[in-house]
Amino acid sequence: MNVDAVSAVFREVLEISEINADSDFFVMGGDSLLATRVLSAVARASGVELEFDDLLDAPTPGALSKKIAGAA
Amino acid sequence: MNVVVVGAGLAGLTAAAELVARGAEVTVLEARERVGGRTRGLEVEPGGWVDAGAAYLGERHTALTALLAELDLKTTPATVAGASRFALRDAGRTRPGRFPPLSAVALGEMFDALEEVTRLVRPDAPWLTEDAARLDGVTVERWAAERLRHPDARLFLPLFLGEMMAADPARVSVLHMAFYLRSGGGIRYLNAFEGGAQEWRIAGGAHQLCERLAAGLGERVRLGEPVLALHQDAGGVTAVTPRGRVRGAHAVVAVPPVLADAIDHRPGPPAPRSTPVTGPGCAVKVHLVYPSPLWRGLGLSGWSVSAEGPLLSTVDDSPAGGRAGVLTGFVTGAEAVRYAALPASGQRELAVAQAARLFPELPPPTAFHLTDWVHEPYSRGCYAALFGPGDWLRLGPGLTAPHGRVHWAGTETSTEFFGLMEGAIRSGHRVAAEITWRETP
Repeated sequence: MNVDAVSAVFREVLEISEINADSDFFVMGGDSLLATRVLSAVARASGVELEFDDLLDAPTPGALSKKIAGAA
Repeated sequence: MNVVVVGAGLAGLTAAAELVARGAEVTVLEARERVGGRTRGLEVEPGGWVDAGAAYLGERHTALTALLAELDLKTTPATVAGASRFALRDAGRTRPGRFPPLSAVALGEMFDALEEVTRLVRPDAPWLTEDAARLDGVTVERWAAERLRHPDARLFLPLFLGEMMAADPARVSVLHMAFYLRSGGGIRYLNAFEGGAQEWRIAGGAHQLCERLAAGLGERVRLGEPVLALHQDAGGVTAVTPRGRVRGAHAVVAVPPVLADAIDHRPGPPAPRSTPVTGPGCAVKVHLVYPSPLWRGLGLSGWSVSAEGPLLSTVDDSPAGGRAGVLTGFVTGAEAVRYAALPASGQRELAVAQAARLFPELPPPTAFHLTDWVHEPYSRGCYAALFGPGDWLRLGPGLTAPHGRVHWAGTETSTEFFGLMEGAIRSGHRVAAEITWRETP
């Protein structure tokens, strides 16, 4: 998944449009419940199953897309 | 005008206080020897109270917040920092925060599925939801078996529903689950402590709401007087109790639906308030008392979640400003029904043993309290009645429709915050307005 695709997931789950490559999921209103919905969307789109701590580590679309690429 | 109010819980007392403020005479008939309904205080040390019943609120609970201000009651934050303990797939895991050691992707699938049905439901009239018949006809258990593939999602759903709505997935319809979650503000709001429906507790205990309302009503509130029958004629309603009869121009029935149906209504209402599949909210609340909140010094929050009962979750409920440490254990869903059937000695033994496995660093508790809401004859369950398959289609249209001079209140009549204190209070305001409007020439 590229940055744009991850950003689209953030927008859908957080229900806000102002997300860019550097937007921090948790700063933008994400919590652990919504985090699981990001991770399930990532798994559906890429087949990569990440853990909650991965999103804590890589909370932006830019960082998360690198993590997905690394795990694929 | 006199109004007879049946039930001195939050709904009945809110309605009574508002009717009195509008100039009506009111008689509140309460079956128990106490007011409060599904709120109940437990004194764990001198002046230190915990909630044996309803406890939490958040900022969206505006009617409750207004009532607290009116009664000069304060809130205390419910969030406690520290690590959690989990006994899910393996025993005794400690993790920072509240996130369980399960597959995040599996939990995401579960929340996606819940979000999907929660969005479908029409919150003001769930029985009019598109596809209501299908959603009302299937249990959550069957729906989950089809919809959730990951074992962790299947493991977690009953725990989540137990915590959110004290429900056994085998006994509630998908429509009721979706409605309940939506009514309470959505899964995210209902699940959250900070910024959610568990942001605060009421300092000194939620039972003070009803005690203060009742104090304001004085002798209008009569305890130990269960209403056995409500007889209507052209001029009014007569409530029959074991001690006599009370006459009113109107009556407010502010008890859970199964108990509303147990009253001998003459003439009978056009539709029942409950059906044979309307279940009790399945909750047993256990309080384990320690000399102080010892877990805090160990970096623990007191929060735990277990796959095996009886204590499916625990939370730090220590009275603010007090000395004692209190861990509240929640026994919910099917586990509550099993546990509630055990003898008292077995109940205590199981809860104390589980607390020792979860928190081996703690000494045994100095006191143990158990509140069984499943068998409480004048509540018949807690948090609220659970609508089984088919119930919403049958019961929904008559939820708030008055039966002549008999009006219905209680958290189960509120499509907003159904099952919560907030819903009860809103239903009290609604029914007071309904009667006032009827009496306005």
